[in-house]
Amino acid sequence: MKATIVGLVAAFALMWALPAPAHHSFAGFDRTKEVMLRGAVREFQWNNPHTWIQIVVVDDKGRQTEWSVECGSPNMMARTGWKRTTLKAGDNVVAVVNPLKDGRPNGALVKITLPDGSVRGPGDAPPPRPLGSAKN
Amino acid sequence: MKDVFRAFLFSGAVALVVSGCRPSPPATTPSEKASQLKLTGVWIAVGTFEDPAGPPPWSNTPWPSQPPLTPWGDTESHRLADIKSVVPCQPAGPVFFMSGIGLFPIQILEAPDQIVLQAENIAMPRRIYTHGRGHPDDLDPSWMGHSIGRWEGDVLVVDTVGTNGKTRAMNGVGANAGVSIEDKDRRFPASDELHLVERLRVVAEGEILEDQITINDPKTYTSPITLKHYWQRRPDLNMMEYYCGENPRPQDEANFAGR
Repeated sequence: MKATIVGLVAAFALMWALPAPAHHSFAGFDRTKEVMLRGAVREFQWNNPHTWIQIVVVDDKGRQTEWSVECGSPNMMARTGWKRTTLKAGDNVVAVVNPLKDGRPNGALVKITLPDGSVRGPGDAPPPRPLGSAKN
Repeated sequence: MKDVFRAFLFSGAVALVVSGCRPSPPATTPSEKASQLKLTGVWIAVGTFEDPAGPPPWSNTPWPSQPPLTPWGDTESHRLADIKSVVPCQPAGPVFFMSGIGLFPIQILEAPDQIVLQAENIAMPRRIYTHGRGHPDDLDPSWMGHSIGRWEGDVLVVDTVGTNGKTRAMNGVGANAGVSIEDKDRRFPASDELHLVERLRVVAEGEILEDQITINDPKTYTSPITLKHYWQRRPDLNMMEYYCGENPRPQDEANFAGR
């Protein structure tokens, strides 16, 4: 299991903010730790209240562990460039997550590198719009 | 401003009656009509619970650091701090509705006898009745309560009673969250004695919605609490669906307060 963890990084100053939870408290996640997961997407659950990415990680002994990675709501994801088709089963990804404190393979997404090399966050508020630009 | 649709229809009827006598006045164009609907549109909160700052000078009033809680209110505040006390996907109340977290917009639509507010992340709309009939005498308690509004110049004064007291903390994060993002935050409960007086107005040349909320709740607080919350007009945003119960992942809830 530990072999599945490519990197463990203390993150005292989170450059990638967690999505402010619309439904959950994220108190169960250890926001001081980051775990890097390298694996294949089994399923991308594009639904409320939060989206989830199921990632299967294989360790050096060939054992599989499926991680549940929690992201923001589809609303927050869509407004930051995500689509329901951004990920599909079989996609190889590298995800950095804040793991659950209890050690189960479950984490809050910090950032994810997609097969095309682009990096995305976990969803957020819509990009700000300067005052003076709204004409209704 | 009050009842602009009815006024618009009335003026049209008068125009029909007199059209045989003299030339009709220029018709109100759709864009002119829309501009009269000051509140109508999509808005998103500026600032959040965690960071109340919006673009100057539109910063939200922080919740008081020393809330004037009654003994009942203090007990309820502590109860709400326990995640086990919160029911998953429970609706929010009107104060939470109007506080915003900067993640989900609200949409306001003005109709002849009511103004309807829909928050993207809250299942139930708020309806502010502007028909002038006041609150019903025998009101069934409800999540959003009963709201009536009247225009004082450019200010919509809204009076709300009849909430059911089941709301989670007024300062929680998100429509269906039980707790704030920082679990150390003080919880601000509301009881079924909640009485809100809001003063809504559009400022900054139509781009900022200001909601001054005065919270009267003698069961919970020994004195009123007044907050100002701000929203920015965002015609570039489309309202989306948000249904909390779609995929609640119950296997996680016991562990990390997924409520």
